[in-house]
Amino acid sequence: MTSPSRSPSPTPILILDRVSKRFAGHTAVDELSLSVPPGVLYGLLGPNGAGKTTTIRMIMDILEPDGGAVRVFGEPGGGRAHSQRIGYLPEERGLYRKMRVLDVLVFLAEMKGIDRRRARQRAGEWLERLGLTEWCLRRVDELSKGMQQKVQFISTMLHDPDLLVLDEPFSGLDPVNAQVMKDAVLDLHRRGKTILFSTHIMEQAEKLCEQLCIIAQGRKLVDGALSDIKRTHGGHHVVVGFDGSLGGAAHVFADKTLVSKVDNYGQYAELELASGADAQQILQRLVSSGARLSKFELQEASLHKIFIDLVGPEEVRA
Amino acid sequence: MRKIWAVIRREFVERVRSKWFWVSAILGPLFFAAIIFIPLHFAASGGAKGIVVVDGTASGFGARVADSLARGKTFRVVARSAPRPGLLDSLTHQVGLNRLDGLLVLTDRTVETGAAEYRAANVSSFRDIDELRGVLDRLAVNARLERAGVDPATVGRAQIRIDLVTRKISGSATTGESSAQSFWLAYVMSIVLFIVIAVYGVNVMSSVLEEKTTRIVEVLVSSLRPFELMLGKVVGVGAVSIFQFAIWGVGGRLVLSQRAALVGNLSPGEFGQEAAFQLPPVPAATVAVFLAYFLGGFFLYSAMFAAVGAMSSNEQEARQAQQPVVFLLMIAYLSVFALANDPSSTYAVALSLVPFTSPIAMPVRWTAGRVGLNEFVGSLALLGAGIGVVTWIAARIYRVGILMTGKRPNLRELIRWVRA
Repeated sequence: MTSPSRSPSPTPILILDRVSKRFAGHTAVDELSLSVPPGVLYGLLGPNGAGKTTTIRMIMDILEPDGGAVRVFGEPGGGRAHSQRIGYLPEERGLYRKMRVLDVLVFLAEMKGIDRRRARQRAGEWLERLGLTEWCLRRVDELSKGMQQKVQFISTMLHDPDLLVLDEPFSGLDPVNAQVMKDAVLDLHRRGKTILFSTHIMEQAEKLCEQLCIIAQGRKLVDGALSDIKRTHGGHHVVVGFDGSLGGAAHVFADKTLVSKVDNYGQYAELELASGADAQQILQRLVSSGARLSKFELQEASLHKIFIDLVGPEEVRA
Repeated sequence: MRKIWAVIRREFVERVRSKWFWVSAILGPLFFAAIIFIPLHFAASGGAKGIVVVDGTASGFGARVADSLARGKTFRVVARSAPRPGLLDSLTHQVGLNRLDGLLVLTDRTVETGAAEYRAANVSSFRDIDELRGVLDRLAVNARLERAGVDPATVGRAQIRIDLVTRKISGSATTGESSAQSFWLAYVMSIVLFIVIAVYGVNVMSSVLEEKTTRIVEVLVSSLRPFELMLGKVVGVGAVSIFQFAIWGVGGRLVLSQRAALVGNLSPGEFGQEAAFQLPPVPAATVAVFLAYFLGGFFLYSAMFAAVGAMSSNEQEARQAQQPVVFLLMIAYLSVFALANDPSSTYAVALSLVPFTSPIAMPVRWTAGRVGLNEFVGSLALLGAGIGVVTWIAARIYRVGILMTGKRPNLRELIRWVRA
């Protein structure tokens, strides 16, 4: 497993520098900056309508930014010039319904700059891997929806890209294909590929992402490594368990510079730290006040919780 | 470039592989023949009209008219009867009951003053009336001259009709084409050009629409520029249409070699215009002009159809949005009679210069008459420039439109897309 690169930063695979996109009447993406290091599984998170798809379309050169700059593989400009090294799965997916499966795959690979012979060979390998070999000469519209989804993954990964850009990759998938997708993504990640994917489902992002960027209404709310974000936005809750003696705990809990809210059950208490307060200081004060502790735990907030805190509940429902 | 080539190949292969292509390749010429000849056939061959000649002449004039009409193919003289009270009413009643087509009333005054009457259910057939008038005129002149003492043989000789042969001069050589043949060639060409440009233009449109509605277009334009995609599409569909023509051309040669049999079948004896229906020899230059303007027209209109496809979200919207484009194409098509009648009129020249009408107007003028080299070069140059401008505008609409969903843009939004 490639470790999240927090060490001497290598050249990022993808950089957005204050990128903006306006449509008639509203700003879809507003001065968004982010940077995706090589080999990282990067999540672009946000509620529906936050500007994720617009951002991805600018990365893919489908839309031109109104302001700011995109750099892909260290070169200025969007992904089109590097299409051979990028696999792209848009949110709304489709295939040519009347074409044969193999022909569609070969054609889409040719669009990526792969020559026909190699494309045919790789398409054959992938179809076999996903159990679709006997369907390769059938027309797309004869396939079930699940099989069509598999064909779409294949078309995204057929040319063995270094960067994968996946827009809501798990939406609309049946559980089996969601697993296939996840396995394929993790496999590519293990092989050192860089993956950027957007989602509005935080549980998923929490399990997969190493780094992420949360946006809402086209603006960045936070970005960075998941662990850092959890630390800075998460560690606000402390659970304290007492072993008999409470000592001067009540006094410590009453200190507004340390604790903003307390839920005290007697032998057990949940604290919300005051902003800027350090949990270690509370621990020290509790011990020196004579309290005997059976438990002192900094509770990590879920990404979901952080997301809701940052975005606001109205936005999430949108 | 390799990607554009892949787009071209996909469009070509997928279309040529489809059943519809072969159906239209085989049935297309039959379809064209049908829409060209069937109306003419019905117009010309209602069968002979059964009429009664009410003969009130004492000089035998009525008998001669009846004989002469009976020898022609247009009328069948059911009876010749002397006038009696109530006869006209009863015959009129017969016409009303559809047992009789008409009645011709002749009196001695017909020769004297030229008064005659034809009553029929249908008096709008110019050919019938012309024939009737011709026979009456000729026989009346005969009768008057004979009455004035002119030798009937002299009258007969004086009435030998002129047979005017028309030959088209092409360059400075006389061709074997008659004016009727020129007209038919122009007419057929305009129909073929109109239908094929429209059909293949709509093909481009639905291809754009398919990629838009299935959203494949997003994957495609992340790998190649929208303009390259549009270009590949138009060229690919264009190649299919040329292939279609090639099939028709080879098929046509086979048909031409069987021309006598074909003409015999298409224009039965009562036509009376067999000469006009001989398929004319088509000179190579005409084929070249036809193909050049077909390609020009196809590129011009396909670009517009591509833009229409890009700005629509479904077939229904596209059908509506394509109407202005089809109307534009129809202007020249509907002007084919004016163009062929007077190929040098200001109107004809203008139509053959304006890029939107020249793809049909110029081949028609070329076939129907002489076109100056200047006009020809000017027309091609304008068409080329028109294709450039229209494609540029269409590509800009296409670029924005293919990613848009929801309601169709209005004109102001379209202008903004083009300017963006």
